[in-house]
Amino acid sequence: MTESKAYNSNFSLKINTPIVSVKNISKRFPGAVALDNVNFDILEGEVHALLGENGAGKSTLVKILYGIYSPDKGEIYVRGRRVRINSPKDAIKHGIVMVSQIPQIIDRLTVAENIILGLEKYGLTSRISEVRDFIKVKSKEVGIAVDPDIEVWKLSYTQKQLVEILRALLIGARILLLDEAITFLPLIEKRKFYKFIRNFVDEGGSVVLITHKIYEAMDIADRITVLRQGRVVGTVRRDEVSPDDVRKMMFAEKSAQITYERLPTSKPRDVVALEIRDLWVMGDYGVHAVKGVNLTVKAGEVVGIAGIAGNGQKELIQAVIGLRKVEKGNIMLYSEDVTNKGVAKIRVKGVGYIPDQPARFGVSLDNNIEENLAMLPAITRRIIKWGAVRELARKLINEFNILTPSSKAPVKLLSGGNIMKVLVSRELFVAKRLLVAYNPTRTLDEVTAIMVRKIIKEKAAKDGVGVLIASEDLDEIFQIADTIAVMNSGKIVGTFPGDKANRDEVERLMVM
Amino acid sequence: MVLVKRIKPLPLGGILIPLLSIVIGILISTIILYVIVGASPIITLSCVVSSLISPEIVLTFLFLTILGVALLVAFSGSIWNIGAEGQLWLGTAAAAYVALFTTLPQAPIVAKIVMVLLAMVLGGAWAAVAGILRAYLNIDEVPVTLIMNYIAYYVINYLVRGPWLGKETWGYIRTDMIPDQVKFVLIPGSTTITYEVLILAVLTIALTYFMLKYTALGLRIRILGSNPDALKAAGVNVRALIITALAISGAIAGAMGAAQLAGYLHRISYPIESHTANYGYTAILVAWLSMLDIRAIPIAAYIVSALYQAGISMQIAGVSGASATYVFIGTVLLTFTVLRVFSEYTIKIVRR
Ligand SMILES: Nc1ncnc2c1ncn2[C@@H]1O[C@H](COP(=O)(O)OP(=O)(O)OP(=O)(O)O)[C@@H](O)[C@H]1O
Ligand SMILES: [Mg+2]
Repeated sequence: MTESKAYNSNFSLKINTPIVSVKNISKRFPGAVALDNVNFDILEGEVHALLGENGAGKSTLVKILYGIYSPDKGEIYVRGRRVRINSPKDAIKHGIVMVSQIPQIIDRLTVAENIILGLEKYGLTSRISEVRDFIKVKSKEVGIAVDPDIEVWKLSYTQKQLVEILRALLIGARILLLDEAITFLPLIEKRKFYKFIRNFVDEGGSVVLITHKIYEAMDIADRITVLRQGRVVGTVRRDEVSPDDVRKMMFAEKSAQITYERLPTSKPRDVVALEIRDLWVMGDYGVHAVKGVNLTVKAGEVVGIAGIAGNGQKELIQAVIGLRKVEKGNIMLYSEDVTNKGVAKIRVKGVGYIPDQPARFGVSLDNNIEENLAMLPAITRRIIKWGAVRELARKLINEFNILTPSSKAPVKLLSGGNIMKVLVSRELFVAKRLLVAYNPTRTLDEVTAIMVRKIIKEKAAKDGVGVLIASEDLDEIFQIADTIAVMNSGKIVGTFPGDKANRDEVERLMVM
Repeated sequence: MVLVKRIKPLPLGGILIPLLSIVIGILISTIILYVIVGASPIITLSCVVSSLISPEIVLTFLFLTILGVALLVAFSGSIWNIGAEGQLWLGTAAAAYVALFTTLPQAPIVAKIVMVLLAMVLGGAWAAVAGILRAYLNIDEVPVTLIMNYIAYYVINYLVRGPWLGKETWGYIRTDMIPDQVKFVLIPGSTTITYEVLILAVLTIALTYFMLKYTALGLRIRILGSNPDALKAAGVNVRALIITALAISGAIAGAMGAAQLAGYLHRISYPIESHTANYGYTAILVAWLSMLDIRAIPIAAYIVSALYQAGISMQIAGVSGASATYVFIGTVLLTFTVLRVFSEYTIKIVRR
């Protein structure tokens, strides 16, 4: 969990001047004060972590710096001069580039085409051959090799974020704003990326890093600013605080709920909830992504699939829920063969699903929370009982502490983590017999993520729900899984009881 | 000065924008008609104003309301049904079949109901063809529904010239008049408006409102427009949903087709192309002007039918050709589109 601190620079020795200075910025949205008199400095050559619970105002702050929102009040200075940033184009002129929480790239185009398009939008041009070379070289340097000619829809969420980082670098970013962009990089790639960031700031660049992983911030940041309900709680040097201090700043008394201890193993029932037999599933590249997987999930058991993104987990999960065609093999749900029966037939049997791309496969952003609940066949058959749906919405909003002006506000107005809460709370509610999930706590703050894991565990232990979770977050797998299955290159390469699994062994199998 | 996207649309935008675009659109049309055909602005404006209070527009208003709702159902799901014209004429043909070639008219009430129902089935099935092509083969519904309008014309023209040709037609190519007892009943004092059409319009609005607001089907059609993938992952059969949305849309258009036969035309004349009022196309404007809010459909239908009538009065007054209608409607649509973009943005003055 803790990494070496080798990535932190000897920051204190440098003479640092604020390259960007935010003074007394406020931003109010209908029903929410996102930022309230915020002061925030980005120094030259620093990595500055911006932390805070879901809805604290982090994304709003970087969006203001990138010219997506304009502040109601306050000033921005770049290199000591007052500036107005009215559009990303203005921001880019000052060298400020943001990589957003939700990837903003176009699915139909290739990586290279997307990057070219990004350049043209800001009045920059480049030849496709140059861009392709840049991608090939730079992507390796940054951490993950990306094929410039692959169409973007074939990429995973994490890979898309990498493409955005590449684009930012090509634009010539000096001040890189990363909104939860690297959280899910696999370990080795993450180390490479840390090194890259270190080089970047050593050469005079600056990075603002938004993350929900305290250790990520502790590993790489020079300074940390914590936001809470739109206000700055404080800015501290990383070497003067402990992770717990930071958590207290973020969550106050709720920080006591944070624990990474293994949740107690639930007693699986003697009923098989999900049985996957010799499953073969095609990936988007025309080759098999899942190659003969066998897995059993008992009722009341939590099976966690550990693995680096892109080893077939996404395809496996999609096949189980019925979104992807099974080429060979069987999927049995409580002894009933549901292979290639389609999502509708599988979902009605009390199956909850938390997908990889929440904004696309999870919720409809233009609709409000009530509508996002009522749209599920598991909640509404024919006539919608809005009274009951509202009741349910209120219950979930309270239980999961969803920050929203009302249950009638379009979901797209919520913060990234709160959108995820809408999805997760709904799916946990409908998962009466089986829950299938991919990165179920991505974008959630620590307190909420741990609460979600506890609820999942409770559903397994108390209600006998079978749970299949694939996660790129090993901490999550180790905390929650009764059985850990390691997936690598489309195969399950090892299965361990959760309480006896050895972390080094699991990591070794993941990268093998 | 910069354009900033509004967080919330303008208050009253729902009513204000359409009304404003009508006023501006009419003024621009007046100028266009003056410059191009030399129509006196006074005559143009008086034609428009008198149309607004003309009783002649009521029937058009009712028909456009029904069709506007029909299109709204499909448009809500981002399914661009351009085929209301064909669907409604198929409804007309279905109703004519019941009225002319079955023994049902002996029981008039049953006959009227069957006429409307069969029209709905046929109109719905006609639209569902495009739905099936879209759902299973991912073929764009716009060209399909459009082409099917011409196929509908062709089929009906064939029937009217051949098997359905009337016996007492005085040399015209047309069907016989439908029996008196299945004609819709005029309300006292009107020469065009019937009880049945009124009922049909009210029922269409009420049921569709209910469907969109209180049924899972309606909600899912609305979500279909913004995020079909989420529906699929939620376990909704998206293919069936697309087909159903188009079928409902076509069925409502078909019902209007039956009403036009029993309430007004009373027979089908060859060729359809020169006897149709093109309501199926005009209704696209109605649905669009309503900003896909069913409560605004009658308002939009009223305005469009007035403009429609204004064009006709100008033609009668001899100041311009039939094209005046299209000038009005086209200009209003354009103004509306421009205003709508502005309503979603706000202009901010920023000191540099
Ligand atoms: N466009 C918008 N319209 C209305 N409210 C908004 C909008 N964008 C953000 N908000 C509100 O502002 C507050 C702060 O949101 P923001 O996205 O900055 O949070 P965040 O700190 O990035 O949270 P997360 O960790 O969940 O991503 C939230 O209450 C959110 O609902
Ligand atoms: Mg955010």
